[in-house]
Amino acid sequence: MRQTWGSKLGIIMAVAGSAVGLGNFLRFPVQAANNGGGAFMIPYFVSLLLLGIPLMWIEWALGRYGGGFLHGTAPGIFHSLWEKNRFIKYFGVIGIFGPLVIFIYYTYIESWTLGYSVLSILGNYKGIQDQQTMQSFLSAYQGLEKNNFFSGLGPAYFFFLITFIANIIVVYYGIRGGIEKLCNIAMPLLFILGLIVMGRVLTLGVPSPNNPTWNISNGMGFLWNPDFSALLKPKVWLAAAGQIFFTLSVGIGVILTYASYLKKGDDVVLSGLTAVSTNEFAEVIIGSSIVIPAAFVFFGPVGIKDIASSGAFNLGFVTMPVIFQKIMFGAFFGAIWFLLLFLAGITSSVSLAQPAIAFLEDEFRLSRKKAVTIFGIASFIFCQPVIFFLGKGVLNELDFWGGTFCLALFATVETILFTWVFGMDKAWDEIHHGADMAIPRVYRFIMKYITPIFLIIILGWWTVKDGIPILLMRDVQAADKPYILGARIFLVLLFVLLAILVKIAWKNRKGKK
Amino acid sequence: MNTGGIIFVGLSWGTIAILTAFCFYKVFRKKKVN
Repeated sequence: MRQTWGSKLGIIMAVAGSAVGLGNFLRFPVQAANNGGGAFMIPYFVSLLLLGIPLMWIEWALGRYGGGFLHGTAPGIFHSLWEKNRFIKYFGVIGIFGPLVIFIYYTYIESWTLGYSVLSILGNYKGIQDQQTMQSFLSAYQGLEKNNFFSGLGPAYFFFLITFIANIIVVYYGIRGGIEKLCNIAMPLLFILGLIVMGRVLTLGVPSPNNPTWNISNGMGFLWNPDFSALLKPKVWLAAAGQIFFTLSVGIGVILTYASYLKKGDDVVLSGLTAVSTNEFAEVIIGSSIVIPAAFVFFGPVGIKDIASSGAFNLGFVTMPVIFQKIMFGAFFGAIWFLLLFLAGITSSVSLAQPAIAFLEDEFRLSRKKAVTIFGIASFIFCQPVIFFLGKGVLNELDFWGGTFCLALFATVETILFTWVFGMDKAWDEIHHGADMAIPRVYRFIMKYITPIFLIIILGWWTVKDGIPILLMRDVQAADKPYILGARIFLVLLFVLLAILVKIAWKNRKGKK
Repeated sequence: MNTGGIIFVGLSWGTIAILTAFCFYKVFRKKKVN
């Protein structure tokens, strides 16, 4: 007997939890500020309507459809859609491979947020007033250098262990008893914490009387004042499409797995849209009101430009802790800021763990205990190179192949498979089965033509712009190349291993028949 | 923040707030159309 969700709100919170991640609060504001400010929202909403929402509905419908055949992961779901094709199930391997690879590095990054939350309360970075010193603090925490803050990886590893074990415990308790319970508590708490931090930032006023223009209104203006000339640049449109892609957790395979635990008559249209809107609330309303405006009022119009171009992680782990030193009750606000990021992280990472576990449960008929044990041991071993070779570019390598390229490839395959191979008429009926609301008919055209074309353009752009330079290791230092090669060998072996497991599972199934 | 910024923040936040409220209203109302 397969597991099911306890309530409709439960799966909405779980999918929204999977979608709301660190990127909502760190990546989105940086992308918007660097790509036309308010004008960025035009390609952003266009991408949401033509790419994000259709993909969300496709994945929910595909997952529920596969669940009806007792398949919770892409190999089985793709095979159910196109039984005559012997190879399509191997394409589905991406839907287990991608989330597993992301889980390997994401859990470690997530553990930094937990660590920083505790260190904020303990006052470990108290008194650090400049970003350079805070950068040293972060580097020492990550084990990239030794200084008077940290002399080794001990604290980071300790918080990694806690984070990893917390993830395993949640998935061990299953869909209803673990993931749904976690998300039903963590998501409302995340919004409360987000609104508290947002409220504090928006009431900062003019913290530096000597610089009256460094105020919160201009801080919001830095992010929202539109630069319409940006709309003429293709890279801005692709940045917006990429942001929609990353923020909604589509193209990974996790929504397929979550939706596979729905019952046949459960709605996917309204639930999918509600998960989208919940994610967008966290991203566009809360995410835009914290890091950029706060950094502006303390570092001014010149400083903020350097900060925004230094990347989302620096903003979260370097700039924000410095800002918290400059406001009253900074330790408290620092702790809840990083706790907010931790909650965003853990609700995403448990979703990344579930496809591999579901694959072992569904295709090998393993008990949840056995499946979680195998997943826990394997992923714990896989995490170690990310932790110990962080400075060698291993994390970035896994992030591109697992967390970027595979996403676009997987989304393209599943969309074409569903709307062309399975057929748009059947796909439309499948999406609307048990629906609580009707989708406008224009989406038949969008799903069949616009979304796949959009995806192919993104896939081509990422391959040419990022994929080829990464593949050729153009920006990699000679000393780091062996580590990058090692990471690639690992990725290839992992993919091959999963493909072999798919072959064995189908062979066993055939034997039983 | 200039007028353009105010318009964009207002439209973006307003659209998302209304969509979120509409979705949750429908979720709790539980009326099937199909």
